[in-house]
Parts: sequence; structure tokens; C-alpha cells
Amino acid sequence: MRECVEEGILQSYFDGELSMDMMENVSSHLTSCLACKRAARELESESLLLSEALEPEFRLSVPTERLRARIDMALAEERLRTPARATVAGRAGLVASWFQSLSELITVSPQRAFGYAGLVMVLLFAALFAVVRFLTTPGPTANPPSVAVVTTPSPKTVSPPESVPTPKQTAPQNTVPTKGPRRDVQPKFVPVKGAERANDDQAPRVKLLPGERSYLKTIAALDSSLKSKNATPMRPSLQSEYERNLAMVDRAIAATRNAAKKNPNDPDAAEFMFAAYQTKVDLLNQVADARLPNRQQ
Amino acid sequence: MSGQARALIDSMPDQIATEASSLSFDEAFTLHHRAVFRTARAVLRDAALAEDVTQEVFLRLYRNQDSTPGDELLRPWLLRVTLNVARNTIRGQNRSMARDTVYSQETSGEGWQAPEEDYERRLEIEEARRALDKIKEPMRSCLLLKQQGLSYREIAETLSLKETNVGSLVARGRKQFARVYGKIGGVR
Repeated sequence: MRECVEEGILQSYFDGELSMDMMENVSSHLTSCLACKRAARELESESLLLSEALEPEFRLSVPTERLRARIDMALAEERLRTPARATVAGRAGLVASWFQSLSELITVSPQRAFGYAGLVMVLLFAALFAVVRFLTTPGPTANPPSVAVVTTPSPKTVSPPESVPTPKQTAPQNTVPTKGPRRDVQPKFVPVKGAERANDDQAPRVKLLPGERSYLKTIAALDSSLKSKNATPMRPSLQSEYERNLAMVDRAIAATRNAAKKNPNDPDAAEFMFAAYQTKVDLLNQVADARLPNRQQ
Repeated sequence: MSGQARALIDSMPDQIATEASSLSFDEAFTLHHRAVFRTARAVLRDAALAEDVTQEVFLRLYRNQDSTPGDELLRPWLLRVTLNVARNTIRGQNRSMARDTVYSQETSGEGWQAPEEDYERRLEIEEARRALDKIKEPMRSCLLLKQQGLSYREIAETLSLKETNVGSLVARGRKQFARVYGKIGGVR
């Protein structure tokens, strides 16, 4: 058999990996050589056996949605970390990294667009509200002041993108964001559900991203601190349960986030989203709390 | 001011490059996450760990978007990383079959149907895995990758082999598998 067609060539022949003329050579040889014909038959039956044996393994389902949610979450954390990495790398010094973080804020990802749109709207409403109040208190002499006030929103609307990068760029990875635009109290390890909820009530209804951003930061900080403790890994069953819960929460976040994105003016939608985020923070806090005494023992 | 900032961004080619390739990241996930996950699961025999590996592989893709090969060589790149990460995972911690059992029970409905069929299928999978275990590298990986539809070139690229050797490696692996699987109790 080996003198005829080598087994590797025969395999390549059946896998369609030979060049055209080699293919012809082999097939004409197969018609005339009994030994090779037998080898070919054996190859076919063994290949069938192999693919039948491995088929159940590959037929097992792939958890596409869960994988997508996990990776999206990991990427969100990664994106929050990249500016810090850039400064460490010191590629082109401080200025470059400042521009980088600036550009990162301005890149037109849909979430950001919505976030900024929300922020702009809040500021516009605030300005309008101020104008209206200003007009009602002094009386009918309205014209000159109204012009003066109305001009202010335009620089105001642009200023947040500038002011936000500075804490981001200077703050090292693990520091908890203290300078979120309005929603600022974020616990590191202590679950302060009550305080957080109270904050939720104060939060203006339209803005989606400012609050979301600080949540993401907190989650990233918690997550990285959890991972840094990985020297003592969780029990496998516990770990898988934790990951399942996490995946569930992530899915909830994704769903509520979509809803909030579609209805930017619906305060309930935003509330649901923040509640989902809060659940994740709570879960991470819980795990962090639970693992803290373990380490001290 | 935003106009100025925009102009600054426009003058940064690498920024734009990463923005453009982030599109292809989604495509890469859609096209290849199954192969990545399945390869990881076949090596690790643990769906939860395979998820971890898949996440790590795509994070690495995200971090190395500028240096990863495009198009036809992307899948070999991803699977090479998958095999490396999966092997490191095995080295890092002992596999626990119990965990996989719990996991597959909890995620029932996604992959497992009626209980009897469930049990039978599980046996089949276990048999095939045990037979594969008896096959030496790189034949084993050749079989795994080929069974997922990779071309010889992709297999060679993934496992850093010569393309001309893949045919005979597949042939030898296949023969060994048939011998071992028959002994273990695989039914023809």
C-alpha cells in the first residue's frame, strides 16, 4: 500500500486538499490498485466513525448570548482601563494621553452619543429653567438678560467632555470614582444600598450615561480587586454559581439598558437599568465581603 | 471646541484605525466564537472554564487588534491562542468533572433534552473524549480542528506545523482513534 499512495496523500485526497493533477493521479491509481482501494475504503469507514464519535461533542450548544454579554462587560472594563494604560506606557507623554482620553470620550459609540445627548438635554433644561425663573422674578424687563443667559449653554454643553478626562487620566485603576458628574457616591466594598437608592431618587431622569459610567467604574474596580485576590480561588461549584449569577445580572443589564436607550425620556426605564447595575454592584460587594474574612483566616 | 477636538482626532490615524477595526471585532466574534468555545470545551471538558477561555481569547483579540492577522488567518490565530490559554488553564488548576456536571444540569434546555437521551449522549461524549485522550499531540489537535472544518492550511497555521505534514498526521490520528474507540466500546 505504501508503495502506491502514501496514507497522508490518500487522506489529503479524501479531504480535498490535493492539487488538481495530484487528484487525477490518485484517482486513476485507485481504479487500478486493489490494495489502495482497500485502504481507501478503510479510510472512509474510519473517518465516518471519527466524525460520528465527535459529533455529539460538537453538537453541544454554544452559549452565544452569555458569551457575548460576558465579553461586552469585559470590554467595557477594558475600555475604562485603557487611558490608564496609555499613561503608564508613556507613548507620547501626557499631552498625547490627554488627547487620547479626550478622543475616547468623544468617539461616537451609540452609548456615548445617548449619554451626551442626555447630558446636553439636562443642561438645556436647566438653562431654560433658570431663564424662566429669572424672567418671572424681576418682571417684564426680559430681553437683555435672556439673551445673556441663553448664550451660556453652548460652552456649558461642551465642557463636560473636557472636565471628565482629568480625573480619569490621573486616577490609578483602583480608585473609586469620586467625581462622577452627579451620581457620585460609590462604595468600594461596603454595600450601601440605602445611600445608593437615595441617590437614585435625586438623579435627574433623562441622563443615562453619567450615572452608568460611574457604575461601570465601580464594577470594574470591584471586579479587578476580586480578581487580584484570586490567589485563593473559590470553590469550583461556588465559582460557577457566582459566574452564572453574574451572567444573569449582565443579561438583565443588557436588557434594561436597551430599554433605557430606546426610551431616553422614560424615568422608569432608567431606574430599571440602574437597579440592574446596583444588583451587580451588590453581588460583587457580597462576594468581596464574603471572601475578605476567608483570606484573614 | 468640539470641532477642534474632532480635528485633533482626525489627525490621529491610529485612533481611527482602532475605531475601524472594532467593527471587525464584532464580526470576528460572530464568526469564530463557536469554534473558540468548542475547541476550549473539547480540551478542558468543562463548559464554564471554556467560557472563561473564550472571554480571555476575545479580550486578547481586542487588545491586539492591530497586530492580529486578518481574514483567513484570523481563525488559526484565535484557535492557537485558545489552545494556549486552555492548556495554561489545565496547568493552573485541576479539572473538575463535578463542576461540569453541575453546570450542564443548571443550563439544561440549552444543550440537553430528555433525561435518557441526555445520559446516552453524555456517555457518547465521554467515550469519544477518552479515546481522544489516548491520541498524542499534535495528531489529537489535528483531528479536533479538522472535525470543525478547518483546512490543512489553517490547521498548520494553528499548530505551527508544515502544511504538507497535516495529511499524514490526520491519517495517523484517525487510525489510532478508530483502534482506541473500538476498544473503549464505541459502536459502529
